[in-house]
Amino acid sequence: MAPDVSPYLVAASLAGLAGGLALLVRGLAAYRSGARVAGIGSSAIATMAAGEVRVDGVVEPVAVTLVSPLQSAPCVYYRARIAEQSGGGGEERAVLDEERAVGFAVRDTTGRVRVFPRGATWSVPADLDERTGIAGDEPPGLRPNRGAGTAAVLPLDREAQIAALLTVRPAGTGLEDVGGTDGFGGGLFGGSTALGPGGTWGAGGRRRYFEARLEPGDPVTVVGYAIPYGQLPEEAAEGSDPAGLGGLHGTALAESLADPEIAADMAEAQAEGTLLSGPEEAWGNAAIPGFGIGRPVSIPELDPAARPLPLAEPAAARETAETFEIAPETLVVAEGPNIPLVIYAGTPAEATTREQWRFVVGLVGALLAIGSAVLLALALGGSIGS
Amino acid sequence: MELNVAGVFAVSLVLMTVVFIVFVTYNAVVALRQRIDKAWANVDVALKQRHDELPTLVTAVRNLMSYEQAVLEEVTRLRAAYSPDAPIRRQAETSEATSAAIRSLFAVVEKYPQIRAGHNVLDLQDEIERLEGIIADRRELYNDQVYRYNTTIRSVPAVFLAPLFGWGPREFFAADPAEVDRPSVNLRA
Repeated sequence: MAPDVSPYLVAASLAGLAGGLALLVRGLAAYRSGARVAGIGSSAIATMAAGEVRVDGVVEPVAVTLVSPLQSAPCVYYRARIAEQSGGGGEERAVLDEERAVGFAVRDTTGRVRVFPRGATWSVPADLDERTGIAGDEPPGLRPNRGAGTAAVLPLDREAQIAALLTVRPAGTGLEDVGGTDGFGGGLFGGSTALGPGGTWGAGGRRRYFEARLEPGDPVTVVGYAIPYGQLPEEAAEGSDPAGLGGLHGTALAESLADPEIAADMAEAQAEGTLLSGPEEAWGNAAIPGFGIGRPVSIPELDPAARPLPLAEPAAARETAETFEIAPETLVVAEGPNIPLVIYAGTPAEATTREQWRFVVGLVGALLAIGSAVLLALALGGSIGS
Repeated sequence: MELNVAGVFAVSLVLMTVVFIVFVTYNAVVALRQRIDKAWANVDVALKQRHDELPTLVTAVRNLMSYEQAVLEEVTRLRAAYSPDAPIRRQAETSEATSAAIRSLFAVVEKYPQIRAGHNVLDLQDEIERLEGIIADRRELYNDQVYRYNTTIRSVPAVFLAPLFGWGPREFFAADPAEVDRPSVNLRA
């Protein structure tokens, strides 16, 4: 190495090399993903056959939605990250790095299919990608969730939706009402103590806020494995149970229970008192369909002092039953054997274009890596930067 | 010396990228061929189901229809012409003609309230209409897969691999309009 090599040039070359290679790897992955999504035709949901499928339509929530942490938007999937940079442009530290999803449905013009997203790969562009300003002011659009992380899906009230759409709300960062102590208010965002005057972040360095999510009504393209619900592996169904209450009707578990030997063992365990006789005894009110979302289909047993929940109307009860009791022969989309589940925001054309664009960026990354390698070689050889 | 290393690195990176693209493209085309076969198998299943349902419908309405025996005979003849081993174009022609004959039969059945009053016939009609819908959707999906495959093997980079691996275009499930044997039905009879 030349004795007077510029360390800045070497560092810049190494950074370019690493960044370029990272972009290339991401681009090649996108090429593969794009080839897959472009290589499958969309099936009509009503008549799709079992096996590898692509369905596209709009997202419909099932029973519950998540509430995104940075913009408080109801969604079925989010990836949120807050990275804080220490003063003087130092290293970034992740304050929050979270990815969550719940089961949802896709509706097209022919029908509706449930998607069990356990193990899915998501391709969702950012809804928020902002930094705090130089003066420490928070970016517009930041509306931290200070309440529960999930919300029940309520029956559509057309009039209320129209009224909500027509209501003009003043623009704001959502930080005006800081000071809560539950949810993120007391945890991640530290309540009012972490905020300076005017609801801005005081101490600490600049923050970068990133959030990508899939909301009800968003167009979506799902490539995965269509399988009768009754044959869905137990763990795939469990991972996406919308409210944590659904049973595994007609599954391998149910088949196991029909085995005489297993049934005898279970009867013995129940006689000994080590196994309860049913979900009602084990879970109490939580076994009532709709209880967890405030719409029980039968009267729960409550303490006399407790506020009784109103029973669901017949239509709501029917919807609840459809939500929690999926017929074993109903096709659902999940991860399959050697068939990964990939969920893309947008129409198939948008998904393909996004992946192709990432591939192009990856090729630019390759050029950057090559250029950086040449620069590094020249710097180390003493031709430049000395 | 350092420049040589950088050159080797650049060439290696380009080669690795090209090899990866060839590898992914090969796998993508193989997957496309598999999907076409699967889509065809799904069409075939629906055609077979319709083939199995038709005799029940014909038997159910035969004794109640007085004058339109020709329509029933046409449905029966076209059902017998179904051959899962025939070339795809021939199967498409037979399938389209069968669908047309079934539509004619349903149009005739509308004239007979005593037939429509029978739940059995209505159920059969619903089932066959459901199967017709499935056949139409799956045929569309099959043709979509063939279109994607044929487009891919004619596009870069698969066009360079196609001669090496003997990838030729696949046939659409579509009948030549001139070849479709459409039944004529006199609805005034």
